[in-house]
Amino acid sequence: MSIATAGPSLRVSRSGAVLPAIRSGLDFIYLACGYLAAACMIAILLLTVSQMVFRALAINIRGLTDYAGYCMAAAAFLAFAHTLNNGSHIRIEVFTGLLGRYRVYAEGWALASSTAITGWFAYYSCTMVYWSYKLGDVSTGLDATPLWLPQVPMAIGSVLFALALADHFLQLLFTGKHGIVPSTEIL
Amino acid sequence: MESIIIVFVLLGIMFVLLGSGVWIGLSLLAVAAIGIDVIAGRPAGDAIATTIWSSSSSWMLTSLPMFVWMGDILFYSRLSEDLFKGLAPLMGRLPGGLLHTNVLGCTLFGSVSGSSVATLTTVGKMTIPELRKRGYPEHLVVSSLAGPATLGLMIPPSIIMIVYGVLTNESIAAINIAGIIPGLLLAGMFSGYFAIKAMTMKGFNPQQEPVSSLREKLAGARRLIPVILLLTLVIGSMFAGFATATEAAAAGVLGALVLAWWQGTLTRENFFAGLMSATRTSAMIALILAAAGSLSLAMGFLGLPALLAQWVADFHLSPFGLLMGLLVLYTILGHFLDGISCVALTISIVEPMVRQAGIDMVWFGIFIVLVVEMAQITPPVGFNLTMLQSMTGHNIFKIGWWSVPMHVIMVVMVFIMIAFPGLATWLPQQMIPVVH
Repeated sequence: MSIATAGPSLRVSRSGAVLPAIRSGLDFIYLACGYLAAACMIAILLLTVSQMVFRALAINIRGLTDYAGYCMAAAAFLAFAHTLNNGSHIRIEVFTGLLGRYRVYAEGWALASSTAITGWFAYYSCTMVYWSYKLGDVSTGLDATPLWLPQVPMAIGSVLFALALADHFLQLLFTGKHGIVPSTEIL
Repeated sequence: MESIIIVFVLLGIMFVLLGSGVWIGLSLLAVAAIGIDVIAGRPAGDAIATTIWSSSSSWMLTSLPMFVWMGDILFYSRLSEDLFKGLAPLMGRLPGGLLHTNVLGCTLFGSVSGSSVATLTTVGKMTIPELRKRGYPEHLVVSSLAGPATLGLMIPPSIIMIVYGVLTNESIAAINIAGIIPGLLLAGMFSGYFAIKAMTMKGFNPQQEPVSSLREKLAGARRLIPVILLLTLVIGSMFAGFATATEAAAAGVLGALVLAWWQGTLTRENFFAGLMSATRTSAMIALILAAAGSLSLAMGFLGLPALLAQWVADFHLSPFGLLMGLLVLYTILGHFLDGISCVALTISIVEPMVRQAGIDMVWFGIFIVLVVEMAQITPPVGFNLTMLQSMTGHNIFKIGWWSVPMHVIMVVMVFIMIAFPGLATWLPQQMIPVVH
């Protein structure tokens, strides 16, 4: 991940070591959650395979599919920020590409409005977890898991996603460059 | 009248957001929120959060990351080289020669990867230099990749079909199986075109492949066997009812790992690169899917799909007329959006219309994939064209012009599908359902 830590505004900062520490701290969190998401992918694989094995052995284990579903949500949400930093979330760049040196304003608009949308959503993801916990919601599936538990990764992931977008917006504002790697991965 | 205004307001907001470079999933989410909160006047946040939670944590969705991962493992393996070296001795002497390795290579790799751009890059990086070295006409080299690479989305397992299945609540396995016959037929039409072109074109005189002995042919075929076995395992287990789509996909991941290990390409770096790339791709698609889910919630609040379906019914539009309208719509959309986003953006509106017209949803899945893929090779903006531009260094309009025959073949295919819907619907009906 290339982040413009050498930007002029950061160098004049009086608090010297604080900003770079925040920078590397955030980058660590984005990446760590990306790895956690990858671990959830492996968990989906293992859960699905064990379900097949159990079925072949005629052993009935409850709720394996529900757990795989929770891992799916966790894998997706925990990876959102990391995916953004890698330029893998897709968007249309045909028109902004035509703007030349004014493109930076379009980028600013896109980042600011995306921060607003994800921030709004992150708030409601968190209240959803809160209410699931408060009301003691339990999964309707065979697993009967208290719902707030698997919902926590969704809340964390959406907060982190909003944070990452805000992060790139601020970088753009202060250094003139956001830290999103140009999209190289394609579907 | 009022609802027409709502439609245009929401469409306007959506196009501004999408066009100004806001991420596709987030644009859809914003439109959903505005639709529910501002226009329908209901609190949107809680409803959207719970909708996204239940759609993101559904078991049906887990086949998506597994199929993506399977393709990514093979992407980092030696598969493309094996495909070329295996197919070349078999195809070399046919009219059209090694152009068929592009068509068949794309068919096979497209099947394992489920994405057309990945197919294009994997097959192209191997075959473009080889075909150029032998003096194949450049426009045929390019078009034999542009068209057939789209087969990645037709032949199972296909990521876009999983997306379609999740969004319409249709069986993922059935839709994937439905793609087999149309996909193979399309591959055959591409191959037929290149054979005829090679025989009739003046100046088609690439360096001939040496006559390969039976032994060389067998050695070549042996390189193909592992991939074909893997595909048989994945598709066959879905078809025969041994496994659900997710289970088939998980088996595919294990199979791909075994295949890469057997080839000696399963290094720690490759495993890790494949896993992380699959994690990102799945997250990217999951964001679009989550947003599409909230968009259809918003459409439901506003009552738009039923209204539009009624509107289409009032027009006494025949199913054929509806399909032609959608053909135009998706061709335009496909200029700016990739296939998955096209489906995610439109399905909540289009699904009720199509159901109302009495069109089979599995059949329509194949139709939509075909049409959306056709748009990917339509100039000036198509994902496959952009990719080919960076791979071959030709201007995108030139590549688009060279790909016109491919485009025509795909249009013909659309009409064949309409005339013979059984091509898509017959095979899924022969499937044996999974017994739990």
